[in-house]
Amino acid sequence: MADLAIHTEQLTKMYGKRRGLAGLDLSVDTGEVYGFLGPNGAGKTTTIRILLDLIRPTSGRVELLGGDPRRDGVALRRRIGYLPGDFIVDGKQTVTELLTYLGNLRGGVPRERVTTLAGRLDLDLSAKIRSLSKGNRQKVGVVQAFMHQPELLILDEPTSGLDPLLQQTFLDMVREARTAGQTVFMSSHVMSEVQQTADRVGIVREGVLVAVERVEDLRERGVRRVEIHFEDPVTVEEFAGLPGVSDVTLTADVLRCRLDGRADPLVKAAAKHTVIGLLSEEPDLEELFVTYYRGAPDDAA
Amino acid sequence: MMLRNPFTKALWDARRAILGWGMGIGYVAVMYTAFYPSISKPAFASALQNYPEGLKKAFNIQDMTSPAGYLGSYVFGLLVPVLLAVFMIIFGSRAIAGDEEAGTLDLVLAHPVSRPRLLLSRLAGLATAVLFACAVVYLLLLAIAGPTKTSAVGAGHLAAMTVQLALFGMLFGALTLGVGAATGRRSAAVGAGVVVVVFGYFGNNLAPQVHGLGWVQRLSPFYWYLAGKPLVNGLDLAGCAVLLAVAVVLAAAGLVRFRRRDLAV
Repeated sequence: MADLAIHTEQLTKMYGKRRGLAGLDLSVDTGEVYGFLGPNGAGKTTTIRILLDLIRPTSGRVELLGGDPRRDGVALRRRIGYLPGDFIVDGKQTVTELLTYLGNLRGGVPRERVTTLAGRLDLDLSAKIRSLSKGNRQKVGVVQAFMHQPELLILDEPTSGLDPLLQQTFLDMVREARTAGQTVFMSSHVMSEVQQTADRVGIVREGVLVAVERVEDLRERGVRRVEIHFEDPVTVEEFAGLPGVSDVTLTADVLRCRLDGRADPLVKAAAKHTVIGLLSEEPDLEELFVTYYRGAPDDAA
Repeated sequence: MMLRNPFTKALWDARRAILGWGMGIGYVAVMYTAFYPSISKPAFASALQNYPEGLKKAFNIQDMTSPAGYLGSYVFGLLVPVLLAVFMIIFGSRAIAGDEEAGTLDLVLAHPVSRPRLLLSRLAGLATAVLFACAVVYLLLLAIAGPTKTSAVGAGHLAAMTVQLALFGMLFGALTLGVGAATGRRSAAVGAGVVVVVFGYFGNNLAPQVHGLGWVQRLSPFYWYLAGKPLVNGLDLAGCAVLLAVAVVLAAAGLVRFRRRDLAV
């Protein structure tokens, strides 16, 4: 199991009588970006806190980077970068003071690495933490998680509070981390946050992993809106009956429809005519996930 | 650099509190000592002679005529140890339980820092704060010994008293740190500290006056802190050993529970 960065078997966690996790089987490959999705209260943060040995499982097995978070905690955490869901630190210090301290706990981090990251995220290093907005505080959290270039990044709802531009910067950083061979495990409750970077997503609901999917496969299965501009007029009948195609509307020589699944039949049918333009939106994977959230994965989707 | 590890960081974060409390306790010690020349006058001593014995015992004021008796009663008998205990209750309950309640403990322990290392770092921070306060008290009293006519006590016996004071303070630091580490609740840690101060004080001073309750005195940290009258007889090894052993047991018991439990979100 050396090629697994994170592996859990039948992981359960009870908080008194309240369920945290109810037998979670999770496998994250080394070097992949894994999106850990689920509604609030599904057990995402519980899982992450067990991985970091902040809380202990009621039963089940956990393996992290080939070790046991309980027994080898200090050695393992040296190789991990962690961004908590709530990044809370003492407000009286400056950003530089905090990052220097956290870097020292990890045995020192090159200064230019911190300034580069801060520059990319447009973070003022001399500001007092207390004076920062929620978004700027989140940036501090992102910098401290990435600054020592850890083997494994564990990020709990990393983009919360970041504006769209910074979310893009953050996603670039995640992609670069993957290119550098780092493993990224990030949780979220919205698909759109992870679908741009994740290789795979796991969906957790009520303390159990209910599905694991490759994002590529989901894209193939996802519903997208397609618009085709033809040189000559076409008829609705030619397209309406095709597998996966629905909601066909035709205005002059522009065809609009919903495409569910593979694009092949539609493309082949369109190819009989002269195509001027073709527009296909990014599939809306959120829809797929809502069905999982509700607990009844729709096989027809 | 003060940002090197959890120990130096804790000291750096608490630098103002450590300085303030140390100077404050030193100031109180100096103020009370400065009254000695006027209280040691024969008229005052004979007035005190007429106080009921029980009252004098209850407030730790017995031998007022000698400098050692006065310092032992007024300076080291009540205000200085109680202030030091309060300082340690506040500081010790913050050390782990306070950080946990504030939510800042998670991030540090998600770093390569073990729970024993964190607890020992915080304990070392408490010890440093106690030593600082005691050093201030010692050096100030030594400096004013001449003008206040208390130099008869001698530097050695004053040092012995200060050592026992430091161990007394450390006991409260270890108590509140230990309870806070075990429960994660600051109120529980403060409560434990206050109960021990109040019951410890009255247990030491009132219990011996009740027939058959003399043994209660030995449960009080005040008893062991003042054991052997260090200002008169020098360091009392038994008193030191008891205070130190109890502090170690309290911190260790807190650590055992702290290692096993879940951190609060």
